[in-house]
Amino acid sequence: MGDHGPGFEPDLDEASIVARAQDGDLAAFEHLVLTYQYRLFRLAYRMLNDHGEAEDMVQETLTTSWRGLPMLADVDAFGGWIYRLATNKCLDLLRKRSAHAVNCIQPEDMDTIPEACARAVPRGSDPAHEAEWSAEQDRLTAVLNTLPPAQRACWLLREMHGRSYAEIGVTLKISPTTVRGTLARARHQIAEGMSEWR
Amino acid sequence: MALEDIPRLGCGRSIDRIWATIDRPPTAHEEHCEQCQTARTRLQRLGEATRLLRQSDLHDPALKPRPGIKNAIMDVARAEVRRGSSILLRSADNGTTEISEQALSSLIRIAAAAIPGVHSRRCRIEIRSASLPGEDRPSGTTGTTTTARPRLIVNLWVAAAQGIIIPRTMEALRQKISNALPACVGISAGTVNITVEDLYDV
Amino acid sequence: MSDQSFKGSLITSRLIASLATRTTLETPGVLRLEPTIQGFLARLGPAALQNLRKPGSQDGTYRQNGVPATISDGTARVHLDIATDIAYTALDVAETVRRRVRENISHTGLTPGTIDVTIVAIEPHRRATML
Repeated sequence: MGDHGPGFEPDLDEASIVARAQDGDLAAFEHLVLTYQYRLFRLAYRMLNDHGEAEDMVQETLTTSWRGLPMLADVDAFGGWIYRLATNKCLDLLRKRSAHAVNCIQPEDMDTIPEACARAVPRGSDPAHEAEWSAEQDRLTAVLNTLPPAQRACWLLREMHGRSYAEIGVTLKISPTTVRGTLARARHQIAEGMSEWR
Repeated sequence: MALEDIPRLGCGRSIDRIWATIDRPPTAHEEHCEQCQTARTRLQRLGEATRLLRQSDLHDPALKPRPGIKNAIMDVARAEVRRGSSILLRSADNGTTEISEQALSSLIRIAAAAIPGVHSRRCRIEIRSASLPGEDRPSGTTGTTTTARPRLIVNLWVAAAQGIIIPRTMEALRQKISNALPACVGISAGTVNITVEDLYDV
Repeated sequence: MSDQSFKGSLITSRLIASLATRTTLETPGVLRLEPTIQGFLARLGPAALQNLRKPGSQDGTYRQNGVPATISDGTARVHLDIATDIAYTALDVAETVRRRVRENISHTGLTPGTIDVTIVAIEPHRRATML
């Protein structure tokens, strides 16, 4: 049953897909996996800066979600719930890592992590311009990696994934107002950090 | 307390406020305040870098999990698949025939998919226990076949498309399910309860 | 061991499982046999875990492709989890499977016992498009 299975209508709304997955419908669950694996991977990768660990995190989160689906009360809450699972798994992993105290990225290490900042260059524009864009993104991700994990998660969830203040608050166990404050500090620090670059 | 946490410039403006109005022309204060101008320039640069990073991460082939990850997730799901309880359809000396609740509900969804304007959601199937025959039948007469005619109660929750005529559509849906069960399973549909729990945009 | 000697040949539960599997898959309207780990654990109880490690174990049960077959006192019993084609009536398909499996068991010289069938899925018959 690797296909999109019996009775699977391509234009289904997400709440209906979630309800079916809750009933144990594998095709519906597979659809959710296909929808969320890339988003969760991007979040995990920017949190953990490790391809393999980000993959493990995606696998663990979605497997957990299959087991937990029947307990999800509101079918409209799936997105927020899965982001919450993923974010907290990343934060747990980072806590374990810092307990081992080896992998903490310090500002002076920033230019030694080009792999972490690798990306596809937008096509079809002037190469000099592209190089400048690319360097600008490298600076952004390098400064981002110096932020404390919870603050980085807050910034990523809002700026890269467009999650709501309320949802981020639930995920990080802080009030929406605190989310706003945390975001403002993150933006300030990143903006300052980028300007100090070179 | 959190609002106090928002960084402020020496001139008293909060970073949050500058960020919120960054796409607008500078205010009279901002035009003359050096701190505000610096902050605006830096935040504008951050805003642009953020937009670019979002775009390039989205399309970067290196920022995707390998296909094996999805397969591994689905392998676990399949191994732990929830089939619900089984419903006894037929009991005889030469063996029983049961059907999983999951098989029935997926069949009901296939039937529902043929009705435009309906997205089926959860499905619960109950059996009226009174009509269930005893599972251990005395084997006095060989070759006895008891087709248990389970009285099914199908409870289906659906989302309906905005603007459809709900009663007529639900009647068509009920009819479709009532026809599918005898044709595809070989049992009568019993009661079909449909609850419209949501509307979806088309 | 409960494998039965009959006219000098040894009929094993493994053979019965394989016979039942083949017969089932050749029956029109059957899409596939669908064993699930949970399915047989639930069915066989705690002993199942042990048996899973030793396919041809003492209780005479053998699982081919997840199909448990048991021989005792000259009688063979089988449990089948099947997915059926939506174009067929599942109850009829199950009945045909049972009749054919019983016929084929009787050809081995054993007595066909209960052939229990669980319909675990009813689906349109089509090739999977993205495996």
